[in-house]
Amino acid sequence: MDRALFAAATGMAAQQRNLDTIADNLANAEVVGFKGSAQTFGELVAPGEPGIGTVALGARVLFNQGKLARSPGPFDLAIDGPGFFTLTDSHGRLRYSRNGEFSRAADGSLRTAQDLALSGVRIPADALSASVSADGAVEITSAAGTRVVGRVRLAEFPAPEAMRDTGGSVFAATSEAGRRHDVVPGSDDGPKLRFGMLEQSNVTIIDAMMQILTAQRAYEANAKGVQAADEMLRIANNLQRG
Amino acid sequence: MVAARARLEIATENLANVSTDGFRRSAASGFLTAHGVAIERRSAAGQGALRHTGRDLDLAIVGEGAFRLRDASGSVRETRAGAFVRRDDGTLRDARGGTLLGTHGAFRGARFDASALGLPAASRVQSGFLESSSVDAIAEMIDVLAAERSFESAQKAVAAIDLSRQKSAEAARVK
Repeated sequence: MDRALFAAATGMAAQQRNLDTIADNLANAEVVGFKGSAQTFGELVAPGEPGIGTVALGARVLFNQGKLARSPGPFDLAIDGPGFFTLTDSHGRLRYSRNGEFSRAADGSLRTAQDLALSGVRIPADALSASVSADGAVEITSAAGTRVVGRVRLAEFPAPEAMRDTGGSVFAATSEAGRRHDVVPGSDDGPKLRFGMLEQSNVTIIDAMMQILTAQRAYEANAKGVQAADEMLRIANNLQRG
Repeated sequence: MVAARARLEIATENLANVSTDGFRRSAASGFLTAHGVAIERRSAAGQGALRHTGRDLDLAIVGEGAFRLRDASGSVRETRAGAFVRRDDGTLRDARGGTLLGTHGAFRGARFDASALGLPAASRVQSGFLESSSVDAIAEMIDVLAAERSFESAQKAVAAIDLSRQKSAEAARVK
């Protein structure tokens, strides 16, 4: 009976963690460049025992492509395919993100809303307008004509799931994520850059709502299991009185 | 009562793993013995539904067999949960940190066919899919309720037997 009670309780705890993850996804369903997570579960096993419940093994980030939407910002960029923008924070540390909502800072660098600068690009002061081609070349138009002033490179990792989330859909490299390799966008089978577009969150509200319902039902079912085990204990306690 | 308890244990364990990828439910089967009903647990056959994820390293086995993984401690375990992450050295690890094994040591390939992973020849590996748990929450709920009720009935039977013994003891005393 204790085992039944324990197994049902582990199920409730796991579903609670699941709900936390889904709620976080749902909250970020409108955030540009956001990548949703999914909770992974594993069976709890003890040596020589057939199975004693479940355990939530942690959330893993799902890097599937979000929808690209046209956007009016002057320096909006989206990645069509795998890879990350390489960013530098105020301490000089490298950060990686797929959020391409950049704006021009006073020093000519392109910065995200969290003040992370896009590596390899600086817009000169005389630029009247700028554009980025699919292969990452940054071209500006000034009074003197058009010229290429830099190139956006993308970073790829063998195991992006193992990167550390530093918040705001910005990631940091870890040893488990593997060695970074820089990719020039625009090749036939590689990622491409889309200028004037933004990658939307890869979470869809309908999917997240469905997952919430499923997790809630699973939680209830496990709660029922706890109740049944408790009821059996009560009956067993009453045996003495007949 | 013991049988009802065993049934509840199996049903709650299944219920707990309703979201565990690659989980195979256990089935409780009762049979009569000289000492009453005994419950036997066995792993139920029957594939969980395949769920599309679109990720290359999400692998699902169609058919029998399981992925073999070596833990940090060196022990080998089997699982049908196939969400893997590629390590820097080309090997694949799962959510628990085990290394995927092929027929000769750690698996490093990029093509996932059944024979390279040591699976039965009739099985197939599907990339971009995960196998959901084979647990049906509704069926397990019904099992939980049924176990609870049969426990209750068994308790009534125990109480009745107890009462009749008490009566006969009283009768014996009167004489």
